[in-house]
Amino acid sequence: MSEQEEKPKKKTRREFLQQLGIVGIGSVLGSSAILAGINYDKKKTEGQRIRILTAENELLEIEKSDATPVVKTKYENLTYLQKQGRDGIEGKRFVMVIDLSKCQNARKCMSACQNAHHLRPEQHHINVLKMEETENTPPFYMPKPCQHCDNPPCVSVCPVDATFKRQDGIVLIDNERCIGCRFCIAACPYSARVFNWAEPLHAQEDADKTYDVELNVPQKKGTISKCLFSADQVRLGKLPYCVSACPNGVYYFGDENEDAVTNGTTKETVRFRKLLADNGGYTLMPELGTKPRVYYLPPKGKEVPFQEKDRDEAAEHLSHS
Amino acid sequence: MYRIKFKIAIILGFTGLINFQSFAQNNWDVPADKKSKNSNIEFNSGTAKEGEGIYNTNCKSCHGDIGKNNSLQSLKPVPPDLSSAQSKALLDGELFHILNVGRGLMPSFKEVLPESDRWKVIAYMRSYDKDYVQIISKTDPAKANLVKIKMVFDSINSKLNVEVVANEKAGIVKLKNAEIALFVTRHFGKMQLDKTLRTDNNGNASFDFPKDLPGDKVGNVELIVRVNDEIYGEIESISKFKIAVPTDKPSLTEKRAMWNVLAKAPIWLILLYLSGVLLATGVILYIIYNLYKLSKSNNNLKN
Repeated sequence: MSEQEEKPKKKTRREFLQQLGIVGIGSVLGSSAILAGINYDKKKTEGQRIRILTAENELLEIEKSDATPVVKTKYENLTYLQKQGRDGIEGKRFVMVIDLSKCQNARKCMSACQNAHHLRPEQHHINVLKMEETENTPPFYMPKPCQHCDNPPCVSVCPVDATFKRQDGIVLIDNERCIGCRFCIAACPYSARVFNWAEPLHAQEDADKTYDVELNVPQKKGTISKCLFSADQVRLGKLPYCVSACPNGVYYFGDENEDAVTNGTTKETVRFRKLLADNGGYTLMPELGTKPRVYYLPPKGKEVPFQEKDRDEAAEHLSHS
Repeated sequence: MYRIKFKIAIILGFTGLINFQSFAQNNWDVPADKKSKNSNIEFNSGTAKEGEGIYNTNCKSCHGDIGKNNSLQSLKPVPPDLSSAQSKALLDGELFHILNVGRGLMPSFKEVLPESDRWKVIAYMRSYDKDYVQIISKTDPAKANLVKIKMVFDSINSKLNVEVVANEKAGIVKLKNAEIALFVTRHFGKMQLDKTLRTDNNGNASFDFPKDLPGDKVGNVELIVRVNDEIYGEIESISKFKIAVPTDKPSLTEKRAMWNVLAKAPIWLILLYLSGVLLATGVILYIIYNLYKLSKSNNNLKN
């Protein structure tokens, strides 16, 4: 019985100690919470500061309440750019005419193109080739951009709808969708496409730019890049980069529906069908049924002869055939 | 002796050929009315300075620096240094014509540079000629506003008749013998229709309008008449006409094509593919069904 009386006594001591412990821990927690609260309030009154990297690469700290988000114009909006790039320009059918009798291998078209699209020196949307068709025919220079076919094999084979044809005839590549399978490179009979094997030329400078499908800038590693008929320039009513850079009047560019093409050098506009009819215009590999939108005028009556130093390169494929 | 004579003959022949070539180069055949054209811009250090900038972007790549004889020698014919005696001998009108038409490797600058810029290039060139005295043209740019250009389309003969008059205080003056050209606006620039004409004594000119010129969806075209008169200067007038061929070609993605997305793929292709899939699945299901029947009959036999 006495034991029974003693037990509750012991319990109460334990309980007392337990309660003491709880109160102790509770008061410590409580005071620390109050302290934290005071600190929080202190911080709050000072205002939240955030770090901002300026365009000049300077790291600054400013009040969060002072910062306002940058309002993007519609031309910096990816969705807008993607849509206008997919749709194309209504009522137009763009064509290019390349007059081989005037090409002197000045290669200004190539550099203008590479500058505009931020390409590496070895990447060509347009390339001036040295050609010799047979042993008995004279060699000539031939600029070769994408042919922007009306029946494009590259678009047929794309498994993700990344490369597409627009209503105005231009064939574009969407680097946001491209998975880098390179089926289109294999399908293209004109070898018009290039692949970004390495990090693109201005990768760091372009990192913040909004991707424009009509310019292919910024370029993306592991995706395809190709001639765009300068879709961004054409939208503004300006001639493509290569066309306006040519010093020798090689290129004509225009709208088939208007039956007019404008020379990039002289800026003279002539009837498209008459130009082809008068000069014997033709397309490359018509037998494939790709229906190119790039037309060639034969290298007839060349005023500048083919340069001797390029002769070996021109004859190269003759030795293979 | 005979050999030496032969050599001399060859040398003489060559020099003759070279002389003939250089003669051919100089022979630009500038029409008399173009020769007499003069600038209404005064050639002074200011215009020459502006001309230098234009020269450096458009001409320097072939003609080199004026006076340094460093033109591009690889071209045939070699472009002359513009301070050379043969260049100095040319009249302002002749130089202006050369800039306008170009020849061989030299492109035309008529549509590339505005008229004032073309004169400024000549001003820059003349700044290297100390003996040069400018003849300023009678053109008064302030008078350009007085000129009215009236265009009437004659649908029977497919001709566009243009009348050019100036509303002077003294009364209406008809612009005689003024250079006149007709253009149509296209996406990338102006396209000239018919040839450049001159107005008759009544200030009239008549252009052939091509019957096959495409217009917009309803056949509208924007026509530009450019008049260049000795007194009134260059005047342009733009007006819209509904006289061209209505053009409304379908978009190039309208057709169901093999390269389009599923929603626009050819129907025969979709049907062929689906029937192929159905056939293959059908065969597999048929085989499975027969295997099932076989095992069932096997069980029946055992029993």
